[in-house]
Amino acid sequence: MGKEVKEPYVVKDVAGKLGQAFLRNPLTAVLGIVILALGWIALSTMPREEDPQIAISGGGIMVVMPGATPLEIENIISKPLEKKLREVQGIQHVYSTSMNNVGIVNVMYYIGENREDSNLKLYDKVMQNMDQMPQGAKQPLIKPFDIDIDVPIISIAFYRNANSKLSLVEFNEEIRKLKHKINSIENVAKTTISGAHKEQYNIEVDVNKLSAYHLSMGQIMTAVKQLAVNVPEVKGRTNGNQLVFFGVSNAIHSTKDIESVMVTSYRDSPVYLRDVAKVEKGIDKQNFQDVELIYRPNNDLSKPLSANIGQLTLSVSKLAGTNAVFVAQDVMKLIDEEKPHFEKLGIEYRKTRDYGQRANAAVDELMHHLVITIIIIAIMLVFALGWRESLIVTFSVPAILAITLFIAYMTGQTMNRITLFAFLLSLGLLVDAAIIVIENIHRHLHSPEAKDKEMGALLVEATDEVGGPTNIATLAIIMTMVPMAFVGGMMGSFMKPIPYNVPVALFASLVVAYIFTPYLSLKLLKKPEHDESHDMEHNPYGICEICQGEHHTEKHDEQTKTTKEEK
Amino acid sequence: MERLETFVYWILTSKFRKTMVIALTIFAFFASLLMFPTGGVLARMLPGKSATTYSIYVDTPTASSIEQTKKVTSCVTNILRNEKEILDMSIFYGQGIPLDYAGLVKGSLMKRTENVAEISVNLTPIHEREEASFLMISRLRPMIQETCQNLVPGTVIKMIEQPSGPPTLAQIVLEVHGEDIPQTRRIAVEVANIFKETKDLVDVDIMADDIYKKYQLLPDIEKIAKLKLGIEQVNNILYLAFQGMVVATKNSEHRSVQTPIYLVLSDKTRRLRDSSKDAIKSKLSSLTLMNRQGLMIPLTEVVQIIKVNSTPMIMHKDLKRMINVIAETDNVSQVYPLLDAREKMVEYFSKAYTVTNAPFSTYMFDLELVHKITGAKYLLRWDGEMKVTLDTFRDLGAAFIAALVLIFFLLVIYYKSFALSGIILGGSFLSLIGVILGHWVADIVTTETFFLTATSLIGFIALMGISSRNSLLLIDYAMGLIKNEGMEKKEAIAKASATRATPIFLTAVAIILGSALLAGDPIFGGLGVALISGTVAAVFVSLLFVPVLMDNAKAMLPDDCEEREEK
Repeated sequence: MGKEVKEPYVVKDVAGKLGQAFLRNPLTAVLGIVILALGWIALSTMPREEDPQIAISGGGIMVVMPGATPLEIENIISKPLEKKLREVQGIQHVYSTSMNNVGIVNVMYYIGENREDSNLKLYDKVMQNMDQMPQGAKQPLIKPFDIDIDVPIISIAFYRNANSKLSLVEFNEEIRKLKHKINSIENVAKTTISGAHKEQYNIEVDVNKLSAYHLSMGQIMTAVKQLAVNVPEVKGRTNGNQLVFFGVSNAIHSTKDIESVMVTSYRDSPVYLRDVAKVEKGIDKQNFQDVELIYRPNNDLSKPLSANIGQLTLSVSKLAGTNAVFVAQDVMKLIDEEKPHFEKLGIEYRKTRDYGQRANAAVDELMHHLVITIIIIAIMLVFALGWRESLIVTFSVPAILAITLFIAYMTGQTMNRITLFAFLLSLGLLVDAAIIVIENIHRHLHSPEAKDKEMGALLVEATDEVGGPTNIATLAIIMTMVPMAFVGGMMGSFMKPIPYNVPVALFASLVVAYIFTPYLSLKLLKKPEHDESHDMEHNPYGICEICQGEHHTEKHDEQTKTTKEEK
Repeated sequence: MERLETFVYWILTSKFRKTMVIALTIFAFFASLLMFPTGGVLARMLPGKSATTYSIYVDTPTASSIEQTKKVTSCVTNILRNEKEILDMSIFYGQGIPLDYAGLVKGSLMKRTENVAEISVNLTPIHEREEASFLMISRLRPMIQETCQNLVPGTVIKMIEQPSGPPTLAQIVLEVHGEDIPQTRRIAVEVANIFKETKDLVDVDIMADDIYKKYQLLPDIEKIAKLKLGIEQVNNILYLAFQGMVVATKNSEHRSVQTPIYLVLSDKTRRLRDSSKDAIKSKLSSLTLMNRQGLMIPLTEVVQIIKVNSTPMIMHKDLKRMINVIAETDNVSQVYPLLDAREKMVEYFSKAYTVTNAPFSTYMFDLELVHKITGAKYLLRWDGEMKVTLDTFRDLGAAFIAALVLIFFLLVIYYKSFALSGIILGGSFLSLIGVILGHWVADIVTTETFFLTATSLIGFIALMGISSRNSLLLIDYAMGLIKNEGMEKKEAIAKASATRATPIFLTAVAIILGSALLAGDPIFGGLGVALISGTVAAVFVSLLFVPVLMDNAKAMLPDDCEEREEK
């Protein structure tokens, strides 16, 4: 090789250009801090969920036709409707169920179809063909699926303790009031109470008495119907042109009013409803949809589970794209505020589902994994390269993750198991760029030629040198990930965060490696005392050869000195 | 490093040793591929996920009463009472639990009959519990099903795990398509019986109504007209008497809902003696209708009672009649029991049908049955997780091939040589050896079955990128040595292997350490193991196998100095 003409190193890769541009730029440090801050903001405010959202769209159409058998329904409702719906573009499957009295047709759109459009198309198709509806069929009921709104993120079981004096109806009413309050919380979509019972006047007719009085059920029905009429008030005018309002009030105020309905007269004496039936103000007993709870008091595992007690489950869903963690917290806060009031009434509650907490736990656990992994890699690098070099690589990881997180946040993604999976997957890959750069810098610094070189130029050169192959290699890895974005179906939709985030992280890893690694090396690394002789005799890249023992400009030298002093 | 250099050089200098390396590698590749058919490594879409909750679906036969359903659920909860790790259970009668991802596709939302109930069970937090939820389920399942399913004959109790990926109707879904309803039902029952006999298949259910005896009241139209009654009157009275009807409502200022007035026969007088025809007749005779002239006519005068079979609902999928038979697997991959059951089906149905296999597609396991006598056609189509798995693997496979092609083009652009690009790609493909062997070892080490999952595949795709980068850096360096320093080819390759070994090892160790924590995760374990073992394989491939191929490639030499090789 020998001595050759010393020429300044010519930067030829984007790696070197980036490194050079940011090497002595005072804004580099600011940029670093801003990136970390943005990442932190994204981390703390990004919506968290356990599983990524899958764009499932579909809907159901229910047509009631009283008295029709399944075969009839199949022929005149399901088949024509199915055929029409097949014409809609984007529908993957049409399912139908033909039962007695009712036909239900469900459609599933291809995963990823726009939900609003799909719902509209469905509605449109049915409405266009309303004229072909068979006679006797009722108005079709069109119900689009809405997963975000249909899947509650939090559910709470309310039950009365032994001291409670509330009746079932009053208890239900309390929970309904609470439900109303929860509805006003920001980002709450739908609240539902399961196991609720309504207040109801029950008229139970004794069939034997009915025949004794020669009555039919129809007569009783008519009699009750006539009583319970609601009419608006009427306006009357006085001679002095003043308005006077009067109206008939609803005749039913209590059980007594219903009991005293005269049904018929039997041998000239009136027959009242109470003579043939028992009337009571109770609950809707025809409703069999009860909910019961069995729980372990105070979650104390040594205690046995309680007996079955009646409960109401209040479930709350959130709007799409909002943070499950925050919504769940807000709901619980509101309920906890009501706790003293509930205690007075003898109402207790326990959370039976909290997706917010689960999402948080899943995200926190994976974050924990990430941190431990970064520490392990840092320790490994301390031994392999030295603690300063290790520190530089360790810095690059949070910076890369911060950029990726922030971009994910900006593009409307949520933080979920799969997003974090993408991060974990890329973790092993994204330290590589930094490792390769720092390893080359390390090699250059320890090479015998280093002492003749100016620090900054050496760093840029070391960075630039590995730029080409690193770019290609990273591009290759990105290319393996990108096609995954085209995997279809539910699974494809489920793992979308991987092809979305891994390439971004890899790209960020390149940028961070080129910008911050030389910058931090300048601040942290020093040229070693040249007693060791690392062999750089075989310079593989050829570029270096030309510039071995390159001139260093006075200006650069001065700057290096000042930066070193600052440190 | 010196020894590695000599070692590589030693291999390169002998044709025999070079052939040995290639032969050994190819042997290892095919040996590892053999792990699949021999069952050394089992594949599964996604492994079970340990969760803090699971649910139990109780389905009593179609015409069961809520009391019968309650009898079964209390049997189930009594068994669960002995479980130490349960915090609470909510039992929802006649409805589904607040919708979750599993319920979303399993039709939980549609449940509103007396013969269904769902139980949601909450467990202690994952980290405080020794037994994973899926193991708990597979332990409890036989206990619950053996004890409680016989209480009401025909009951199906299903244990529903939280899906670890996108939810499906069931892991195993077999659609029995056929136009002849009774025959299709028969095939469905036979299929279900085969499922029940197949090892590892549990929770078998036919998704069709059970046929039960019911009574039909035939109105005597002539008589009705003569007696000046209406058919509607007849319908109404029956409904009013036995089902009850809300005949009027009352608004209230104190309640958030209207108070209905509900009319029904009293419970005592409504009950039938038994389910015989006589009991119905005697009950109906006490119900009377009033005609337009005020005459009372007993209901039995105008109707005739006949006993008939219920007509079950008819299901369509994409306009064709079908019945779903579903089953879950007990903590194993669905592939193997499915193939087992399919084999049995082919054997069983061959007696009465001509069985043909479907052509190769993601429906490739389907069976077509043609009845030997009637010539009626039936189709047994696999859906559910199997279809999702095949679709995903097909798409991932396509993505993988696309990735290969993209990388290949990228490399060809970079090196302007097909041979070198081929070496890099071929080399990166070989990390599959490590992936498969890693899973095999992991399966031996762990007590439960360790599956090769979709996450393993994603890991493998990422590995492609990693190992192609290793080869890339190696080739780049070696070419630099030859071009710029005029080194002899073999020497240069050996030198390059030794020099690039440091960053290759460093990045490999980073990936291995980074993935170590993942390997313990139930879902991402496959990825962790794939990355760790695949990286190890990639290191060997890059440092030993790739140099051999490089030595054989002409394109290693720069264009201008081909003659140097000749000497």
